[in-house]
Formats: sequence, structure tokens, C-alpha cells
Amino acid sequence: MEVIIMKELLEANEKLAEENRAYFSGRHILAVNLMGSPGSGKTTLISALAKELAPISVGVIEGDIASSIDAENLEKQGIRSSQINTCGECHLDSRVIRDGAEKIDLRDAIVFIENVGNLICPAEFDLGENVRLLAASVPEGDDKPFKYVPMFSYADAVVLTKCDLKEAVGFDTENFNKGLRAISQAPVFEVSLKKGQTPAGVKEIADYLRAKYEALPKA
Amino acid sequence: MHELPIVLDIIRVMKDEAKKHGFHEITKITLVIGELSSVVDESVQMYFEVAAKDTPCANAKLVFEHRPAMLKCTVCGTEFPHEKSFDCPACGGSSVLIKGTGTEFYIKSFDGN
Repeated sequence: MEVIIMKELLEANEKLAEENRAYFSGRHILAVNLMGSPGSGKTTLISALAKELAPISVGVIEGDIASSIDAENLEKQGIRSSQINTCGECHLDSRVIRDGAEKIDLRDAIVFIENVGNLICPAEFDLGENVRLLAASVPEGDDKPFKYVPMFSYADAVVLTKCDLKEAVGFDTENFNKGLRAISQAPVFEVSLKKGQTPAGVKEIADYLRAKYEALPKA
Repeated sequence: MHELPIVLDIIRVMKDEAKKHGFHEITKITLVIGELSSVVDESVQMYFEVAAKDTPCANAKLVFEHRPAMLKCTVCGTEFPHEKSFDCPACGGSSVLIKGTGTEFYIKSFDGN
């Protein structure tokens, strides 16, 4: 006898995501789930945003398959960071976020959750964040929104990084926007954070995040 | 790769349901998978064969039902499933994703003894 149950999967993750959301809102934290390919410039972006967002405290929960390179580099800059090594798992899930959040132990802050570099799996896992930010870099190509529909369609805002390379790699901004607009109305911020040069475009993203932070209900 | 936690979730749900309905074994599980849910049938099947050993689902057959993401043409309003292109099959106009379509991911039904 067939039984109809219509039971949503990943409920356990959803439940923990809600708990994380309550933890963050209880501490007046804006949690930003930052996703993107390996090498898309996620860590560099956080580092630049932290400077721009001062005096608001910034913390980072770093997710990587292995190593603590990113967390160490951010700590050197004075950004409270905790490193989660997923040991092969291709995304972060709600379970590990709470540990990372407790390690940095912040209040009244913007906390970036730097997800594992991957354009597929992280899209599926709600971590209890307030904002989903996607870093897409110019060298990856202008066709990515057409190819990675779930990731691009779930993002609240898209940051196009390494824009100084547009000409060198023949990036067609119009085609990128066409693909993105078919699946999302998310704002796009263009940045260039080349080492040794003045960062361009960071202020606009910082303003966007600051407005979200200021709109949080007081804990 | 991320199908493992999903498979473990399926088995956990099925254990509870088997108990609830007095089944000692589950013979069939029907899953609904939306095109945008980033879940691959073959990966689910592969993990399931390993993870279901020694559970009531050990011999269960997995049935996958797919749901497409739906697009709506911004020019003529035609709604069509996303297959290869974002261009409208009726007029060639560009389309937008209908929010919420193609993200389904749930156990629809199961059968057992």
C-alpha cells in the first residue's frame, strides 16, 4: 500500500538554520553567507569590506576543505575569524556554523560566513544568514549565470570581482547581465581589488550591507 | 557530493515512517526533485545503496520524479519549462524565471510491507 507523505528533505538543516538565525538576531548580528568559486576573490572582498565598514565590527567564519590560510590572513588584519575545515565536504551546513559563531563570540557586528569555493552545493544549504552574497569573478566567464542557475537565482546581491580584467579576458558584461536578469533581480556590484591599487567599487557594497545592518531590530 | 547528507535524511525519515505505519521493510520511495535543487539522481542512488544497508530501506527501489524550472516570456507572456534556452519558444523573446519553480525536493510517497 503506497503512503503519500510529501515530506520535505533537509529538515534537520532547516531547523538548525532557524536556531542560527535566532542566535544571530539575539546578538544583533547581520550574517552574510558569501559564496563563489574557488579563487573568485571572496577573502579579498571581505578584507576590503571590513576596512570600509569600520567602525562596525566585522567577524568571519571561514569554511574551507582544508588549511587555515584564510582565517590566519584575516586575523592579521585584526578581523575576528574562526576556521571550519569541512574535510572534503563541499559546502557548509547549519550544524558547523554555530561552533564557528561561538568561537568568534561577537555582538553588534556583521559576520561573514565564507562558504566553501563551489558554485553548486552551497546554494542548497540555508545557514541562518540574513543576506546571500555571491562573488563571481570576471575570469570565470560571462556565461556563468546561464550555467549555474540555482546559485545565481538564490543570491540577494552579486559582486562581480576582478573587473580590471574585463578587456584582457574578453568579458561581455551585457551577456552576463542578460543571464542574470533572466533568473534574478539581485543588484550587481562591480569591484576591482588588484593588489597595490586603490580598491574600486567596495563602498557601494559596504553601503548596501550597512543599510541591512542598520535595519536589524535591536537585540 | 552533497547528496550524502540528503540520503542520510531520506533514510532517517523512512525509519520513522516505517515504524509509524508498522512496515518492517520499505520497498519503494518516490522522490520529487526540482531542476534547480542541484540534486543528482545517480549520486543519490549511489549513496543510498551504501547507506541503506541494515536499515528497513535496504531493498527499496528509488523512483525519481523531476520538476522543471518554469520561465515566463517578458514579451508575449508564454510560460514554458526551462530546457536549453531562456528564449521563448513562441516568439523568441527573453524570459524570466518564475520564482519558486524547480526548487522542489521532497519524499512524495513510499510503499512497504
